[in-house]
Amino acid sequence: MSSESTFNPADVKVILATDCGSTTTKAIMIEQVDGVYRQTWRGEAPTTVEEPFADVTVGVINSLTEIQEVSGRRLLDDQGRIIRPATADEGCDIYISTSSAGGGLQMMVAGVVREMTAASAKRAALGAGAIVMDTIASNDKRRPHEQIQRIRELRPDMVLISGGTDGGDTKKVTEIAELIAPAKPRPRFGKAYELPIIFAGNEKAQPEMNRVFGDGGFDLKITDNLRPSLEQENLGPARDMIHDVFLEHVMAHAPGYDKLMSITDAPIMPTPGAVGDILQTIAKGRGINAVGVDIGGATTDVFSVFDGTFNRTVSANLGMSYSISNVCAEATLPTILRWVHIDMDERELRNRVKNKMIRPTTIPQTLEALVFEQAVAREALRLAYKQHKEFATTLKGVQQQRTVGDTFSQQSGGETIVDNMKLDLLVASGGVLSHAPRMHQTAMLLIDAFEPEGVTELAKDSIFMMPHLGVLASVHEQAAMEVFERDCLVYLGTCVAAKGAGKPGKSCFSWSLDGGSRGSGELQFGDLEHVELGPDESAEIEIRPARGFDVGAGPGKVLKRTVRGGTVGLILDARGRPLALPEERQACRSAMQKVIDQIGLYPAAESTPVTQESGSSD
Amino acid sequence: MNRAGQRIALALNALLLAGLTGVAAASSPLTGAPPAPPSGVSAEDKPWDGGGTVLLRWEASSTEEIKGYEVFAHQEVSGSVAAAEAEQSAKDEAEAQTEAILEGEGVAPEDAEQQAGERAARDVAPVTDVPKWNSLGVVPPDQLEFIASGLDKSTPYRFMVRAIGSDGEASADSNVTPALVPYAQWFDGAKLPLFCILFVICGAVFLYVMLARSGMPMKIRTIAGLKAVDEAVGRATEMGRSILYINGIQDMDDLQTVAGVTVLGHVAKTAAEYDAKIEVPTSRSLVMTAAREAVQSSYYTAGRPDAYNPDLIYYVTDEQFGFVAYVSGMMTREKPAACFYMGAFFAESLILAETGNSVGAIQIAGTAQPSQLPFFVAACDYTLIGEEFFAASAYLSGQPDQLGSLKGQDVGKIIVGVFIIIGVGLATVQAATAGMPSMESLHEGATSAVDFLVNTILGS
Repeated sequence: MSSESTFNPADVKVILATDCGSTTTKAIMIEQVDGVYRQTWRGEAPTTVEEPFADVTVGVINSLTEIQEVSGRRLLDDQGRIIRPATADEGCDIYISTSSAGGGLQMMVAGVVREMTAASAKRAALGAGAIVMDTIASNDKRRPHEQIQRIRELRPDMVLISGGTDGGDTKKVTEIAELIAPAKPRPRFGKAYELPIIFAGNEKAQPEMNRVFGDGGFDLKITDNLRPSLEQENLGPARDMIHDVFLEHVMAHAPGYDKLMSITDAPIMPTPGAVGDILQTIAKGRGINAVGVDIGGATTDVFSVFDGTFNRTVSANLGMSYSISNVCAEATLPTILRWVHIDMDERELRNRVKNKMIRPTTIPQTLEALVFEQAVAREALRLAYKQHKEFATTLKGVQQQRTVGDTFSQQSGGETIVDNMKLDLLVASGGVLSHAPRMHQTAMLLIDAFEPEGVTELAKDSIFMMPHLGVLASVHEQAAMEVFERDCLVYLGTCVAAKGAGKPGKSCFSWSLDGGSRGSGELQFGDLEHVELGPDESAEIEIRPARGFDVGAGPGKVLKRTVRGGTVGLILDARGRPLALPEERQACRSAMQKVIDQIGLYPAAESTPVTQESGSSD
Repeated sequence: MNRAGQRIALALNALLLAGLTGVAAASSPLTGAPPAPPSGVSAEDKPWDGGGTVLLRWEASSTEEIKGYEVFAHQEVSGSVAAAEAEQSAKDEAEAQTEAILEGEGVAPEDAEQQAGERAARDVAPVTDVPKWNSLGVVPPDQLEFIASGLDKSTPYRFMVRAIGSDGEASADSNVTPALVPYAQWFDGAKLPLFCILFVICGAVFLYVMLARSGMPMKIRTIAGLKAVDEAVGRATEMGRSILYINGIQDMDDLQTVAGVTVLGHVAKTAAEYDAKIEVPTSRSLVMTAAREAVQSSYYTAGRPDAYNPDLIYYVTDEQFGFVAYVSGMMTREKPAACFYMGAFFAESLILAETGNSVGAIQIAGTAQPSQLPFFVAACDYTLIGEEFFAASAYLSGQPDQLGSLKGQDVGKIIVGVFIIIGVGLATVQAATAGMPSMESLHEGATSAVDFLVNTILGS
């Protein structure tokens, strides 16, 4: 690995980045054009982790070769090595990569109390880009033999153990270690592989950890406590340790990764971890709150940054192909059909769901199929966001400071930090969102599933470039930011939604754009309005909510904001929050038909056949 | 009209009579014969009452110009009772005279007692059968009935009425009614509004219990303090410290202590599940026994009977500040991670809560002592306020009977709230329209309504 290579950021003109997914290796080239970094070329090739190649670098070279061919710039020398540094017409200055091949990073976490140290351990693992296979805790309602059985069934890449504040409990965390050690969980890769155990708990329990895991078969790593006190969460050192172990152990044992690590200029990152990093960088850089979602075939990742706090969740059972049956089971078919405006036969839908599950690469061929798939996507996103809200909370077990004024409003710990009214940017990626036939459909999928309140910008990741930019941000933040703004995100527009409930036909809010020169109007409760506002345009909007409705300035208070245009434009949503569709089927269909007509979701010209690009983000 | 109102009416009538007679005496001399007495005086026990009230009716005096009628009652005391009264009276008189003799005449105490006995025997009137008529009040001449209230429910009464002439002279006695006992009926009609309210509340409780049993979900507002129990116990587990539970300083006859023991059961069950150490010092021996049973039961329920240690639930002292001194000292030394104060607290509330706060514990308090609530709210993380504390057992158990009962009681509170709002509104209207001729009818209506609420609803 050449991660220690040094370079002057000002001299960097050409950057190559790859993302090695389970099926496809995606490469992009970033060049400095007129003093600004732009993503210029892209290439794709099948990932070659599996036999017969069993070498990930083959796929990487193939994808780079494609870029080389389309761009006309020589990137590889005769031996297939990346040419560095860049000259006028060949080579690159930086090469970086992410990886989610082979299922990405899979971890098991453990802590003393499920809602405290175990939750912190889970946050650390997810934030580092891992999939958390299970969480073991002393209060997880399982008997010790059940916990041991579960540990034996799992084959994690590593285990993260936390528990006890510094100077606090040692007994419980030792008990958990004593469950894991004799269970001897087997790692996924390599027979001679010693399963890495990361201990990020009470410093006084470290000798006990050495004793329990010192017998062999484990590679114990000790880092700073995740919860040095219950009032403080310190995820950074544990995340760094996970990355280090990921590179040292997991990547080193995956086919060809040792070669890949040797040619990258920055440590290889797990793909979701890189996406989280770029979202944090953007949120910090612009001083905003942001939510990102990546809906794939098997899983849905949700990332959020609220007031500087980053959270990520992986909904392992919510996806659009392998997990579509589970979405239907969890959401129920009647709930999915709330989003459908046409009559559909439930039996036929069930067959369609099963077909999608066993043939995950198929895409909708008719308008009906497209409408149904997008209805399922709405529910999958809604459920994933709900799980995310439940996970992204304030710390539990923290001592509160009260005044007498709190007599009737005692807020408890563990409240969600996700606040849709404070949300500024909502970014979508994943096949069903990125490749919807019309951008309007993507925008409405996001609005219906996430129910943004107030003024929220909507965007989608054009070619799932966020992982590349995430790892790039660690070595060249300026380039990552510039490409993110100019090429990565396709701004769909802005959603203005009022929070509150009312009766249909009653006034919800009135609005005027640039003092009325670009349009004005009043929306009744239940209405939706679409206003054209181009991708590079912005306008001053003044919103006057009716009594009981809030658009961000407080109930009934006027809000003035600059709104950004996009490929869709401005969507004014007066359907209220929380969004409530009529329970009666016919009324619900009428409501959806109204939405479709007002936004122009499915114009007749595109009704059949519907063409759609394949793919999910992974 | 209630008893207080009746007394006020009587007092007013007496004043009226005194004024009338005074004026008559001053303005005109005795000019003729006394007026004729009223006739046909009848008495009947007031139906559907709580006893002690008699309705009197009579026919008007044949004399045209009279000032009113004075009503008299005679309480028929049985012979033994009269004799006992005379004996008591003689004894009181003798004691008084003994003291007077001792003070004034300088004789020996034994002699003074003897002399006083002899004098008392002479002075005290013998028991006779002559009726002792007590005036109940005077009514205007156009009123031919009277409600005699405040009478003894167990003794018979006789009544008679005299007319009072224009010159203030009283007529002869009317006929005397037969003896009548103003006894209590099985249902007091004045309590009807109370009965109606009781019926509605009990009905609501019954209805909600039935609904809860039938499986209808009963939503109870989340009580942050109880929701935080897991958090507090979890904190103790992570920090490797104990949980301190104080069940107030009152005995088991205090409802708050009982409610505290209920919450203790829940806390102990959570502690058992987390395998955390819970310590319960008590200031009453009976509370210690009850607390031990509650904690033991919780450990059994949690499947951890082996972890139950009765030595951690112990009696300290009945002395308020001795107990506080012990607990505060223990908190400072052992630094528990979670402190619960559930029960009746007095001056010690702030001492305990501040000590707990200073050692960095999560603190959850619950009490129905209004004077201690501000201290707990300010110093603790969570506080169960009054009703929340008592609702805790229903909240924690989730049993249909308890949840239904809680909902039914809420209906009662809503009724009380509605009456308070209506009463306040009417009283405001009454006060605002007083002295406004254009609003006279509104004022009278409001006054009647307020009178009904105050005398009938609240009076019942």
